[in-house]
Amino acid sequence: MPRKLRSRPLTDNPQLLGLLLTLPALMAILAVVLIPIVSSFWLSLHQKDLSRPQYDAFIALKNYLTLLRDSRYLNSLWVTFRFSLTSVIMEVILGVSIALVLNQRFVGRGFVRGLMILPWAMPSIVNAAMWKWIYNADYGALNALLTQLHIIEGYRVWLADPTWATILIILANVWKETPFTVILVLAALQAIPEDLYEAARVDGASAWRSFWHITLPLISPVLMVASMLQFIWGFQTFELVYVTTGGGPFSTTELTTLRVYATTFRSLRFGYGAAMAYLTSLVILIPAVFYIRSAYRRVVEM
Amino acid sequence: MKRNPLYLLMILVLVLMVALSACAPAATPTPTAPASTSATAETTTPPTASPQPAQEKITVIFPRHEADIVGAFEARVREFEKTTGIKVELIQSDWDSVADRVIPEMATGGSAYDVVEFDNGWVAEWCGAGWVTPLNDFMPEGFTQGMIPGLVDLFSCPDGKLYGVVWNNDTRFFYYNAAKLETAGYTQPPRTWQEFKEMSLAAKDKGVVQYGMAPSWNQEWALANEFHFWTYTFGGKIVDEQGCFEFNKDPNTLAALQFMIDALKEGVANPAGLTYDQATAQDAFLKGDTLFLPQGIAGLMAYTQDPNISKVAGQVKVGLVPGATPDLSATLTLPEAYAIPANSKHKEAAWKFIQFMTSRETNKILAQEIGLLPIWTDLYTDPDLLAKYPFWADFQAQLSTARGLSKLTWYGDFVDVTIAEVHKALAGEQTAQQALDNMAKGLAQFECQP
Repeated sequence: MPRKLRSRPLTDNPQLLGLLLTLPALMAILAVVLIPIVSSFWLSLHQKDLSRPQYDAFIALKNYLTLLRDSRYLNSLWVTFRFSLTSVIMEVILGVSIALVLNQRFVGRGFVRGLMILPWAMPSIVNAAMWKWIYNADYGALNALLTQLHIIEGYRVWLADPTWATILIILANVWKETPFTVILVLAALQAIPEDLYEAARVDGASAWRSFWHITLPLISPVLMVASMLQFIWGFQTFELVYVTTGGGPFSTTELTTLRVYATTFRSLRFGYGAAMAYLTSLVILIPAVFYIRSAYRRVVEM
Repeated sequence: MKRNPLYLLMILVLVLMVALSACAPAATPTPTAPASTSATAETTTPPTASPQPAQEKITVIFPRHEADIVGAFEARVREFEKTTGIKVELIQSDWDSVADRVIPEMATGGSAYDVVEFDNGWVAEWCGAGWVTPLNDFMPEGFTQGMIPGLVDLFSCPDGKLYGVVWNNDTRFFYYNAAKLETAGYTQPPRTWQEFKEMSLAAKDKGVVQYGMAPSWNQEWALANEFHFWTYTFGGKIVDEQGCFEFNKDPNTLAALQFMIDALKEGVANPAGLTYDQATAQDAFLKGDTLFLPQGIAGLMAYTQDPNISKVAGQVKVGLVPGATPDLSATLTLPEAYAIPANSKHKEAAWKFIQFMTSRETNKILAQEIGLLPIWTDLYTDPDLLAKYPFWADFQAQLSTARGLSKLTWYGDFVDVTIAEVHKALAGEQTAQQALDNMAKGLAQFECQP
């Protein structure tokens, strides 16, 4: 007589159970992430000019090879790198400084901490419009302020000057993004045991030495994460530059996002635009890998 | 109970965000329709009066007209609904937002819209791609008779069929501040750009104005329009009929770009113009800061009468656009049309909408209410309209010199390269010839492809 087959409960096989439970999420990821990624990569291997369909063809890596000689794209890549890196450096310095101040006890500390969030919480498009008004050549607040302080003699056309346009969009970005670094650093500062500082004081360490040997090493993992994220977000910036300068003067503030947008949605060259987006993604992937590895290491250590 | 200040601040931030969001322009504004005017009564017998099935609905998207601050277009659309029984979902916003919604929709073969904005800069691209429906299948015999022929030609594709009917005859005119010009010592407007320059500098020296003009030369799509305008007024050429380059070889095109550069260098044009869009340039003229507005919209005169935005009421006149020589005048026309997407599911109803909105009757009402420039030639001699707009008599001579943008299937790329190189030249970072040569280099892959 054959032995009666008994089905094992799923709880006895945690691997299978885990797979089954994550299956819906995996399918969702497949549908909304993986398929578009593969499909846009396939698109990047084609000449696909929507307004000139007679030229559509599979061209393998030609779009990528053209991109490596496309001075406008390479310029936008350099502009974006410079924009992101400068922003990150300023955000870290300002973020740590502000967080150290906000970590002290003073009257109205809660109010000031709350106020810090305001720029970060502001919608990007509103932030961009606000800075455009501030930098306006005829009635902008920046010109009014500097004139009244006798720093400049007459109103200047800030956004027509490539150097000033670059500096000012970076400042606008720093103003918006610094609160994120402040919040993260503040949380890290509050996790540092007070005993360490007391021991340092007993040993006669100055405030600077305490910061250098206690604070900085202990907040550095958080700073690393914040910097990586800010660098990646710098490559994703669009509204700020689209609204304030439109990429001008003569493309000196043209970020890669604007280049991809103009190529894809204005020139309707979807294949070339997809290749541009892919190549840019590869550049962002480098810090992204560092970020993921850093975050993973921290989880393992915990 | 002790309240956490952080909690209160978060509420404050939320309130601020809502308030700031409210300041952003709405995608689909619904301006209040004006009270019925005598002109409205003239639409009692529109061309498409036959009622449609009750629930038929079309979606229409086109930009808000610059002069339509009273919701005149919206009122006509509602009149169309009443007359035909066809419901209209109307989407109006600024040109760029409309372009960003319409182009991807057309490119992906969508059927979300039944009537779409069809800009003159898109004609060659859309004809080649087959995105729009030929209107010859719907329009009655002789429908275009009486329309300005150039506007009909502009929206006709190489197959000889008509694909768009103009709703906005956006031809540009030369405005000058006659009162300020007289103070500067001149009784007549300039006939040449050299005179334009002399008058500007003289007026500036006498402290009459800050600059001769405030150009809209920001690095944006419309800078390519400016390049066309100045090239035409110098008798220059951009591309030939096969799409082969002429701009980098033609001395008149070079002279046009050189004039633009010199105007900034010599103080004829406000250097802030490098960051101005068209609305800002127009504002400077209306504030009385400048002497000339070389290419203003047809409805500008209405703005000059509004004390909220104008300090030049009664001072502005219309003249012929100056040229490189006294016998040369040209201007740019940037008409916008209605078109029916190839995949629209309500083509008959869409056509009725187009027919209604571009009819003589509607055209006249919109002309009376917001100064819309008609597409029908006989309306320029209409006694009612001439009584209201006597300066339209001055428009007549300019209308015959109007030219459209280059018809190219790669017009988007043309704009992309042109605005960067021209802007660089205007900022003094390269010469005019270098800019034109760099344009040729950047567009080399498209040469001789119409």
